[in-house]
Amino acid sequence: MLFMKPLLLAALLVCALFTTAQTTFPVNGTVEKDEVLYLFENATIHVDASTELNGSLLVKKGRIVAVNPALPPVEGVVRVDLEGMHVYPSFVESYSSFGVPKLERPKWEPGPQTESNKKGAFGWNQAIKPEIDAADIYTYDAKAAEGYIKAGFGAMFTHQSDGISRGTGAVITLNPNENLGLLLPRSMAVHSFQKGSSRQDYPSSLMGAIALLRQTFYDAQWYAENGERLETNLSLEAFNANAVLPQLFVTRDRLDVLRADLIGDEFERQFIFKGTGDEYQRLDELKATNGAFIVPVNFPAAYDVSDPYLTRLIPLSELKHWEMAPANLAMMEEAGMTFAITSDGLKKPSMLLANVRKAISYGLSEEMALKALTEIPAALIGADEFVGTLEEGKEANFIVTDGPLFHKKTNIIEHWIQGNPTVVKDRSLKDISGVYALTFDDESLSVNVNKDGDNYKASFDLIREGKEGADTTKVKVKLAQEGEMVNMKFGPVDSLYKGVYLLSGNVFAESRIWEGQGQAPNGKWFDWAAVRSEDAKKKDKPGSMDSLMVEGKVIYPFLAYGQETKPESQNVLITNATIWTCEEEGIIEGGQLLVIDRKIKAVGKKLDLESLFGKTTPSFEVIDAKGKHVTPGIIDEHSHIAISRGVNEGTQASSAEVSIASVVNSEDINIYRQLSGGVTCSQLLHGSANPIGGQSGIIKLRWGLTPEEMKVEDGTPFIKFALGENVKQSNWGQFYQERFPQTRMGVEQVFYDHFIRAREYGEAWDAYDASMSSLSRKQKRRGDVPVAPRVDLEMRTILEILESERFVSCHSYRQDEINMLMHVADSMGFTLNTFTHILEGYKVADKMAEHGAGGSSFSDWWAYKFEVKDAIPYNGAILWEQGVTTAFNSDDAEMARRLNQEAAKAVKYGGVPEEEALKFVTLNPAKLLHLDDQMGSLKVGKDADFVIWTDHPLTIYAKANATYIDGKCYYSIEKDLEARKAIQAERARLIQLMMDGSGAKKGKPMEKMPQHYHCDSETDEIR
Amino acid sequence: MRKGLLLGACLLLVSLFTFAQTPGDKQSESILIIGATAHLGTGDKIEDSAIGFEDGKITFVGARLQVNEQDWSKVIDASGKHVYPGFVAPNSTLGLQEIGAVRATRDQYEVGTFKPNVRAVIAFNTDSDVTPTVRTNGVLIGQITPRGGVISGSSGVVHFDGWNWEDAAMKEVDGIHLNWPWMHHRHREGGKIDVKKRKSYDQQKHELTRFFDEAAAYANIPAPKIQELRYEAMRGLFDGTLRLYVHANDVKQITEAVHFKRKYGIEHVVIVGGSDSHLVADLLRENNISVMVQRVHELPRFAEDDVDLTYKLPKLLSDEGVLFCLENAGDMEQMGTRNLPFYAGTAMAYGLTYENAVKSITLNPAIMLGIDHLVGSLEKGKDATLFVSSGDALDMRSNDVTHAFIQGRMIELDNRQMQLYRKYKAKYEKP
Repeated sequence: MLFMKPLLLAALLVCALFTTAQTTFPVNGTVEKDEVLYLFENATIHVDASTELNGSLLVKKGRIVAVNPALPPVEGVVRVDLEGMHVYPSFVESYSSFGVPKLERPKWEPGPQTESNKKGAFGWNQAIKPEIDAADIYTYDAKAAEGYIKAGFGAMFTHQSDGISRGTGAVITLNPNENLGLLLPRSMAVHSFQKGSSRQDYPSSLMGAIALLRQTFYDAQWYAENGERLETNLSLEAFNANAVLPQLFVTRDRLDVLRADLIGDEFERQFIFKGTGDEYQRLDELKATNGAFIVPVNFPAAYDVSDPYLTRLIPLSELKHWEMAPANLAMMEEAGMTFAITSDGLKKPSMLLANVRKAISYGLSEEMALKALTEIPAALIGADEFVGTLEEGKEANFIVTDGPLFHKKTNIIEHWIQGNPTVVKDRSLKDISGVYALTFDDESLSVNVNKDGDNYKASFDLIREGKEGADTTKVKVKLAQEGEMVNMKFGPVDSLYKGVYLLSGNVFAESRIWEGQGQAPNGKWFDWAAVRSEDAKKKDKPGSMDSLMVEGKVIYPFLAYGQETKPESQNVLITNATIWTCEEEGIIEGGQLLVIDRKIKAVGKKLDLESLFGKTTPSFEVIDAKGKHVTPGIIDEHSHIAISRGVNEGTQASSAEVSIASVVNSEDINIYRQLSGGVTCSQLLHGSANPIGGQSGIIKLRWGLTPEEMKVEDGTPFIKFALGENVKQSNWGQFYQERFPQTRMGVEQVFYDHFIRAREYGEAWDAYDASMSSLSRKQKRRGDVPVAPRVDLEMRTILEILESERFVSCHSYRQDEINMLMHVADSMGFTLNTFTHILEGYKVADKMAEHGAGGSSFSDWWAYKFEVKDAIPYNGAILWEQGVTTAFNSDDAEMARRLNQEAAKAVKYGGVPEEEALKFVTLNPAKLLHLDDQMGSLKVGKDADFVIWTDHPLTIYAKANATYIDGKCYYSIEKDLEARKAIQAERARLIQLMMDGSGAKKGKPMEKMPQHYHCDSETDEIR
Repeated sequence: MRKGLLLGACLLLVSLFTFAQTPGDKQSESILIIGATAHLGTGDKIEDSAIGFEDGKITFVGARLQVNEQDWSKVIDASGKHVYPGFVAPNSTLGLQEIGAVRATRDQYEVGTFKPNVRAVIAFNTDSDVTPTVRTNGVLIGQITPRGGVISGSSGVVHFDGWNWEDAAMKEVDGIHLNWPWMHHRHREGGKIDVKKRKSYDQQKHELTRFFDEAAAYANIPAPKIQELRYEAMRGLFDGTLRLYVHANDVKQITEAVHFKRKYGIEHVVIVGGSDSHLVADLLRENNISVMVQRVHELPRFAEDDVDLTYKLPKLLSDEGVLFCLENAGDMEQMGTRNLPFYAGTAMAYGLTYENAVKSITLNPAIMLGIDHLVGSLEKGKDATLFVSSGDALDMRSNDVTHAFIQGRMIELDNRQMQLYRKYKAKYEKP
């Protein structure tokens, strides 16, 4: 048997470092031909995740020549005996920044940066940098490599993790020689929603990042198709060149995946998603993207829950994630999703294997685990012809283990990358554990030597006769194995063994005999010998894996008050209620409301079911609402809840291209809180930082559903405009006095400029469409077609306003600017739909009525800015009296849950009749949102969105007893009480579980700080 | 003549649209309000009541049957209406700030860490346009309070009627405001906040302790030769004449404040905010510490909190026997003061009895501010600071103040907003 000696290994390693096998390089010295073959024999070879065989592997020049060759060569072969060992393909890391310089974000400086700081013929935005190829800037990082190699990674995808469009990544093997290591210079193109090191203002929000990326796709298309050279743009050229590559999208959570997938659908790209390990929280929807995932295994550590007051700070979602995260991969496998495992997110790559094993103990199959570490990432990054399996012709990247890879105590012994080994554990070291009879001088001791990981623990019992019989002292021996030698040290022990004894000897005969010399404390040398009397007790190899169960359930959304199941629509007959129809029927005392199949089927004093249904009356639940009131669901015209990462893209005077609809956050607790206040529908508005803001998202508060499912079907599109102090940056401080406009005068010109440009944009498209339709067939065949204008998302949106396909809700306070904007609208031929806030609307109510604009106001806010000095709580009453469609809105997550009380203030201030006041928060906002055909009143055929109140809805005594959307009960006091109990029980269970966890690493309590947005919230959220 | 008319018209316009409300005249005749439901502020009410006052003081509280209307110069028939003691807005910055976004109108934040000598009352602008809109809903008394720093300064108590702050002041200095330093440092990472004890907390607490140690030592010198303004301002804390208002929300902050009270033997300590106070109700009650409960219309702090936690916090404290009142600091707090009655209304809808809800904005704050001998309830001998509402004043649907008196002076219930309302209503009513 031929064991490879450490010396030989070291020599190989040195060779690897100095070999320059590149044929184009001149050689300093003698040329190495590298003709020697390597035959790895007698191992269990895992050719791929599903093929395991006992045999050999033949390697030459760093490549696999054959697996289990029928006639192994006998000459010029280094034979490596791997008896009892397993050989696996090296892992493939599909996401990293290995060896690529990290860009630091420059120090914050006050004031705007409107343009890119990158010089040259590149694109306009610093966060779009498709021109970056990681291969150009990659250098081998020996220090980082060591961690990856020891963790089992042989090949890596690496890229510069910076920016929204990040250019391409490369695939390398962990070979110090970059020319040999670089397998694939252009592997995947990478995108994200994070701005990275760019300090350019735009985009500051997630929705801005989304819009920017979409616009880049359109620009690149236009650039590719445009025959006439208008500009040279290296960024767009690179973007187009990258289009043939697989496209990776780096996400920050499960909702980002859905957002990215929508972009993919729009441009016919199937993204691969870099996930975050929370995929299980929206598994069905994520699966439906059809995308493959690159998933981290950075399972959260248990929290320190010893202080009950601090433990309160840990959200339920975090506690649950701690329990469920290790089961994520198992759930993805069960769902049939494709995923690779990445070490990204781990503190050290060395934690990988332990965490994958943990995932396996939670149900991930070993086969899938191996696949997700090898074949799948190799395929995703387009490197499966090089790595991922141990097939002929591939790189000789493999790991040698001393047992089945995923068994608890199995170690990676060696890692061969392109034929070069890294020794993690010296295989040649013999196991010297056992019981030895040690003799020296007159002493004879029985020394126990036990293996402890890579080291040994040794001791002997010293028995001395004392006054009260035999006295046993256990004496520890410090024992070190050093190749074929062994050193021991012990003492001082007692009066006899006063000092330290030092022994050194050689190991012979398969460690049956040790022999050597020692030095006594007095400096005297002596001879010693040790003979093995007993073999070490063989510990059972832990063949079986732990099998763990997650007791908790996934809830939707994944936070407090989430539910395991989505609510079902019910057929309901409500009787004996005071029904506020918000229709001609007015208030019906002791009335009935019938809901069938998500819609209002009938409403009245006493319903005649027979004439409604004949003899086939469907079944329904009867709810006796005696003493209670029923109203339409409350509609909030102006809300900023349920928005992810930024409510303003106020970095430019117009941001018409961005859309709140693209960043709806279905996992915001305020959705639930507002259901408890009877709200069923909200317009999620862009903020008011710029004159032309972003598009709205109009949602029904379908708690538990996804962002797309929450959006109102067939809704008319809206956009936010704004006027006054916010848009002219009056309260932004001294450094923000540059962006146009800074005055009300400038604001008007922003509107004219944009509307006129949008009109011209429309004309350009009309001209294009006309010339396309007048083309002859021959011209078309020849491709002699005009060039399409550039799709401009901003102009397209503004054009929709001019064409009355999109409507405006405009943040406004002062009468002069309200007047101004109506003039702009009149002259551009459209009607300003809604003035929101509109606190001086009472001064121009007649003009608003004449123009046809509605008003959505605060009931009683004022004096927070100079421009609201003249705001009065009677505003709503005057607007209403003048025939303006009048609503009250919240703009505030707290107030939104009391909008019925705000409506009551229209009664207090100005004496609006109660029925009409209620319409301020129901039918009127529905009208303003062009949704009054679906909601806003209790009318036959409309959606069954309604609230059962405990009391008169305009009193302070009223609580929402139950809130229904589409005939489904999304909130009720009873359900809420159950949910509270469930939360308490679930928290208690998880905290107990955390404290049971023996030795689990404790994390610090975390408090999620939800961001509550108002109009003025101006933040940069996408670093 | 014509000129004179024009001038007169101009003056009228100016008085209508520029000036704040003219203070009321001293009560010159005895007034009796009869027939109303009187909510005494003590937790009791009298149906079909009679409330009489002379020379600014309440002289009769009882049933209508017990009184002879002829004995009174003026009788207000308030049958079917309600009478309440003037509502009290503690921890208020009314009159210190006119318009939030305009720096020149902001007077509540002085620079510095320890500045107990800074007095809010002297910056109270009696001509603010905001205060009249607050009176209109029944809020007649406020504790004018500075903000910022660790010790932000001294508050004073005023009623909302007077030519100047001296007129308005009921108590120029009632106590010192201490913003208890946050104990936890929050570090955002990936949407999460890592919470750990702030590194600077121990240092801050040390400095605070030292400041109190020195102030207490200074207070032992009856007539110091060299005066230290800051310690002079603290003197009253140690002899019980001043209150210590500790602004604290987190349970750990509150607990620290309790130990602080015990250490320095401060007689009157009030927790302001106290969003976690229900968790340590026993400790507060046993240490005789009261709570100014944070704005009722707030969101709960944590997603898993009961959705109505902030609404029912007063009820939770009431059940535990902790003395509490309502305050409304927060966003847009000056103009929001007119909603104070509705905070009490919400607290009532979520568990307080009606009369206890009234008490939480009348007698309770008066006790906590040390002005209960003067105001806070409809009791004989107290100031005739009260109002009549034609409906339930805790409900926005029916809050409609028809008469209001401060120390017997009948005050104007008009305000700039009503004036603007009339102005534009008239515009639209023109043919």
